Amino acid sequence: MKGIFRQLFRMVGLVLAAGLASAVLVRYSPGALVDQRELNQRLSEESLADMRAQKARNSNVGVNFLAYLRNLTHGDLGYSESNNAPIASLIADRAPATLRELGVGLGGGWLIGLGLAIPAGCFRRAWMYDAASSAAAGLLLSLPAALIAYLCLMAGTASGTVLVIVLAPRIFRFARNLLVQAYGAHHVEIARARGIREWRILSAHVLPETAPQMLALLASSVSMAIGAAIPVEAICDAPGLGRLAWQAATARDLPLLVNLTMLVTVATIAAVMLSEMAASREASALL
Amino acid sequence: MKVARAVAIGLLGAVAIVALAPEWWAANRYDTQFRAIPDTPPAARFPLGTDAVGRDRLSRLIYGTRVSLLLAPAAALLSCVAAGILGGLAGLAGGFIDRTIVAAADLFLSLPWLFLLLIVRACLPLNVSPAASVAITFLMLGVLGWAAPARVVRAAVRKLKSSEFVFMARARGCRPWRLLWCQLRPNVAPILLAQFWVAVPIYILTETTLGMLGLGVAEPLPSWGGLLRELEGDSFLARPYLLAPAILLALVIGSFQLLLSNEDFSI
Repeated sequence: MKGIFRQLFRMVGLVLAAGLASAVLVRYSPGALVDQRELNQRLSEESLADMRAQKARNSNVGVNFLAYLRNLTHGDLGYSESNNAPIASLIADRAPATLRELGVGLGGGWLIGLGLAIPAGCFRRAWMYDAASSAAAGLLLSLPAALIAYLCLMAGTASGTVLVIVLAPRIFRFARNLLVQAYGAHHVEIARARGIREWRILSAHVLPETAPQMLALLASSVSMAIGAAIPVEAICDAPGLGRLAWQAATARDLPLLVNLTMLVTVATIAAVMLSEMAASREASALL
Repeated sequence: MKVARAVAIGLLGAVAIVALAPEWWAANRYDTQFRAIPDTPPAARFPLGTDAVGRDRLSRLIYGTRVSLLLAPAAALLSCVAAGILGGLAGLAGGFIDRTIVAAADLFLSLPWLFLLLIVRACLPLNVSPAASVAITFLMLGVLGWAAPARVVRAAVRKLKSSEFVFMARARGCRPWRLLWCQLRPNVAPILLAQFWVAVPIYILTETTLGMLGLGVAEPLPSWGGLLRELEGDSFLARPYLLAPAILLALVIGSFQLLLSNEDFSI
């Protein structure tokens, strides 16, 4: 219980630090205190003075961040000027598409990555299979996610499937190395010599032993998936949070980016935290 | 495997030689426009054809190789220097300094790499000169990429600090700076060198992704990411020569993978 509270405290601290850091970046970014509307010649001197006064009031990072946190408790995340819509509704609209994509990407990526890694670890004499699967993974790892997204787009593949293709080689490579190491352990060789079936060796000896590292890989695959979702959604024109982040970056919609930063920080840290807790439970069960 | 590694070294060497002096290999400058012959297919004069404004694609690929391949090591060097200083300081000092640096590294590592770059890139001016966009892109990569190698350096320094030879040096009255320079630095240098080589392909891939998203090196200066933007809205099946930068990129990163086996290039 104490560990959970410590992890939660760490998570809240990191999320707040990420929010404050991005707020500082926004405040001190070039042109932060200039409003494009000032170029509008139809605005009177009074309106311009009002706009400048409002910008000057917003220049204090600490006060602004506290006001943002206060509004956050009421579900108000601010307003996106580039999308001309409240940020909360934008995120609520786009999140389901990204969650679906991440679900397909992570599920498929793990299924294919782990599915291909198990025979590579299990059958040490199948060097041709190992070489072919490692070469295919190496080729996919040599291409950026944006290029894979473009090639898949030409083939008419959905964005979720693109994430599968991006994630599977990364999961395969880590999982293969872990499984090769686990299958080489002395007790596994003894189990084989005693005639224990392969599926039993896998389920009772290899997978439980690699569980902590696999859980760490699961957490980092969530982070990889979120990172890959940006170019994939931008290229595939998918209406998700990744595309929203890309649009916010190209339009310099900084309030929207601050909110997305905090959201992504929560998601990645929660994944890491859950995997650390599961890994420690698994490790204590093994002992 | 030895043959494959030798081929990889040869390929990287050849590409580096071309990248070092593109003027020798390219028939035209990257921004020379042949306005009478835009968008032509490959021919003897232009082996990869010309782009929409009549620029020689092969020449642009050669100049783009210089930008992508030479500035990634510069960015990797910057991040390794920062990692060496911050990771070394955290490992040596311990206490509050260690906790602060580790917390900052945790913060950097908690965000997906590309997302972090996107936020910082958005905070910097987007409409800048090509030279400034190169500097911004690679400074950003260098400055933001310190966290992962810094953790490795910190762990190594902490381990070295409690090693026997450091203990003996201390017992013989070795001063902290001398200890740092003569005992710790030579032992941490190979670790930093390994981190440098791991970072180079990651930065090349990151620049390509940023370029494809329109947030990398600005036109008319070419980079692999910028050149791959040409694929947008066009089928590579009809014009497969547009994939030349992708093939070169795959060969270069594949060569790095062969030389740095067991490393991940997550972008």
